[in-house]
Amino acid sequence: MSKFKIALAATTVAAALVFTVGAQAWEPTKPIKIVVGFAPGGGADLVARNLVASSQEFFPVPLVVVNKAGASGALAADFVKNEKADGLTLLVAGGSESTAVPNFQKVTYSLDDFRGVMRLIRQRVFLISKAGSGINSIADLKAKALANPGKLSYGSSGQGSIYHAVMLVTTRALGIEMQHVPYKGGAPMMAALLGGHIDITMGAPEETSAQLDSGQAIPIALPSETRYAAYKDAPTLMELGYNVYIENQKGLFAPAGTPDEVVQYLHDNFKKGMDSATWKAMAGKLSMETAYLNGDDFMAGVKSMSKAIGEAAAGLAK
Amino acid sequence: MDMFLAAVATVFEPANIAILLASTAAGIVIGAIPGLTVTMAIALAVPLTITMPLTPSLLMLLGLYGAGIYGGSISAVLINTPGTPASAATSIDGYELAKQGKALKALKMALIASFYGGLFSVVLLVVIAPQLAAFALKFGPAEICSLLIFALTIVAVLSGDTIIKGLLAAAIGMLIATIGADPMLSVPRFTFGVYDLYDGLAYIPLLIGLFAIAEMLAQAEESFTTGAKLIDIKDIDKDANRLTRDDWRRSVVPMIRSGFLGSFVGMLPGLGAAIATFLGYAEAKRASKEPERFGKGAIEGVAASESANNAVTGSAMIPMLALAIPGDPPTAILLGALLIQGVTTGPLIFVNHPDVVYTVYVALFASLAFMGMVGWLALKPIVQVLKVPKVLLYPVILAMCAAGSYAIRNSIFDVFVMVGAGLLGYALRLFGVPVAPLLIAFILCPPLEESMRQALIKSQGSLMIFLNRPISAFFLLLALAAIVFTVRRQIKSHQALPSNI
Repeated sequence: MSKFKIALAATTVAAALVFTVGAQAWEPTKPIKIVVGFAPGGGADLVARNLVASSQEFFPVPLVVVNKAGASGALAADFVKNEKADGLTLLVAGGSESTAVPNFQKVTYSLDDFRGVMRLIRQRVFLISKAGSGINSIADLKAKALANPGKLSYGSSGQGSIYHAVMLVTTRALGIEMQHVPYKGGAPMMAALLGGHIDITMGAPEETSAQLDSGQAIPIALPSETRYAAYKDAPTLMELGYNVYIENQKGLFAPAGTPDEVVQYLHDNFKKGMDSATWKAMAGKLSMETAYLNGDDFMAGVKSMSKAIGEAAAGLAK
Repeated sequence: MDMFLAAVATVFEPANIAILLASTAAGIVIGAIPGLTVTMAIALAVPLTITMPLTPSLLMLLGLYGAGIYGGSISAVLINTPGTPASAATSIDGYELAKQGKALKALKMALIASFYGGLFSVVLLVVIAPQLAAFALKFGPAEICSLLIFALTIVAVLSGDTIIKGLLAAAIGMLIATIGADPMLSVPRFTFGVYDLYDGLAYIPLLIGLFAIAEMLAQAEESFTTGAKLIDIKDIDKDANRLTRDDWRRSVVPMIRSGFLGSFVGMLPGLGAAIATFLGYAEAKRASKEPERFGKGAIEGVAASESANNAVTGSAMIPMLALAIPGDPPTAILLGALLIQGVTTGPLIFVNHPDVVYTVYVALFASLAFMGMVGWLALKPIVQVLKVPKVLLYPVILAMCAAGSYAIRNSIFDVFVMVGAGLLGYALRLFGVPVAPLLIAFILCPPLEESMRQALIKSQGSLMIFLNRPISAFFLLLALAAIVFTVRRQIKSHQALPSNI
């Protein structure tokens, strides 16, 4: 090997080293804001606070949760989209504001304005009926709805919410018609179900376990690809032959154009937080279903869910 | 019984008592500061409880809750700015009393009424929670809608002398309540593409603007135009501030009635303390033999409104405990906090975790007792606020108002809403238009629209749903009776004073 070649090789190695060092050298110098589009104490907020509590030790700067509640999370999404793509402002995303709202309303952002950093958790959606209502399964629901076309009703947390989207897709798949009654959140919806004012409601298992465990309400199915451990008697809609897959996810988005090495840094350090005992303990207490995905897979999943909801919403418009 | 004693023993451990003391004091302060709400305080406290055992975390949250609702009355009385929406009706007579130098008296009554209302609703909770919760479930959209229509008739009671001005204010309130995404189809109304308006005007900035900012503007105007010094109260007259036998005679019945009304409204999901307090106040005035006293410093007005809003604190826990369905936003957060502790409420809690049920009961009673004690000790120091010259006091309050408005959603937009509402409130004052009807219409309209449209979806457009259902028909009849009553009273007063047309 000639001296020249050695020199060249050395330079290449050095350059590669410099390059990699340079790539990993990005470190935040200012506090990182994690923007939550919902009020303190809500599901998205608790995910963010859990992440901060478990990841703070891996970051040289403070991690700050900022609540910008409003417009089903669209307010916060719009805010983060317009921030600098420097990795210092992140959005807790993957729920209604990402998959459902843009299909029902004109919004100032689209999923292309963001890039995924990682998925943190998933939250299943159950179709729930009242015990004693005669609807104990999807087959019962279909039969009853066909016998009383347009008479049965379901509650949702608002036009364009994920719950609304689930029922739009499901009723279309089942070939039935139901009335849609929007409510302000899960609690009034559950009260309406138990009072017999609506026939079907939807809910996350961790929020409805009181009613499900006491037998007042029955989980009849869920639009996921696998069953949920705590209520494994409830079949997935896919098993029943209906291709419906919608659930709530929570992960982190950064503004589009955030450099790769910045996203990598954030991903790696938050992942350390997710693997920590703190995260696991708190997730256990809060019944969060930890479901890590990398940023690209997370974004792809969100996009395909958004597409399915968009198709159902387009059917509604006709 | 053993479990009860065990619960008492845990609650009264020194460390737990210290937490209760601290959270009660914090609750009163937070409640008293305009813009910092009970809901926000509880929400921010929840992460702290994750690492705590059950009893101290319950004590912390319940202490904040009850004391915060009471704390709102302090600023309502002293500076005409309800610290929380729940105290909006308290300021009507409470501030009049303060202007007459009887602030301490008003605050005493507010504390006693708060204590009574809280106690009454907690007793209800302990005695018949499951039955009441089952009754509350009967309230579907049609029933809620008719109840709210009845509640709207209190606009007439809050209107003061001229009903037409009250109706004008209510119409403005209704109009601005329609700003934002509509409750059923999420179609944006009057938002002009501004995201900050999608959820409508935020309630706290509007409240602060209408009361606090308008009050400051009015006081500033007075001192500029008349050259009069801002009213400073140097000494607190002891005799005038004693609760007399007459005060008690006037207040006891309204207080008890409000205890019922507040408990009733509290256990229905989604209504909340602000509606309860206005209902309690208006019913007291409606039933009074001397309604003309109201709005001019009637102690029974303070008693009625404060008893009603604290009665919500206990009764909102009825559906939470018995059905795992919270009655208002603070109890929704409490429910979440209990979940974190591994406690699932609902019918099974009485079977699976009777110890937790007893702990909740004891914690509620203990937090009430502490609210009473801390509140009583704080009365005299708090009233000293009135000795601070307003030139110094108001800028401080203004800063707190702006900060509070901002903190709701971390949004400067809400600060502008506050300023705008202040100008509106000031303009209304100039024309002698009362602000309370505006506020109550603003509070009542969104749930009214929502429940009416939900009911009409169910009935496929038929209005008969409101008459076919007995509870709903009952409230509509009440509303009709209230209107007839108001009209008759108006006619009578016109006959009495024929020149006053």
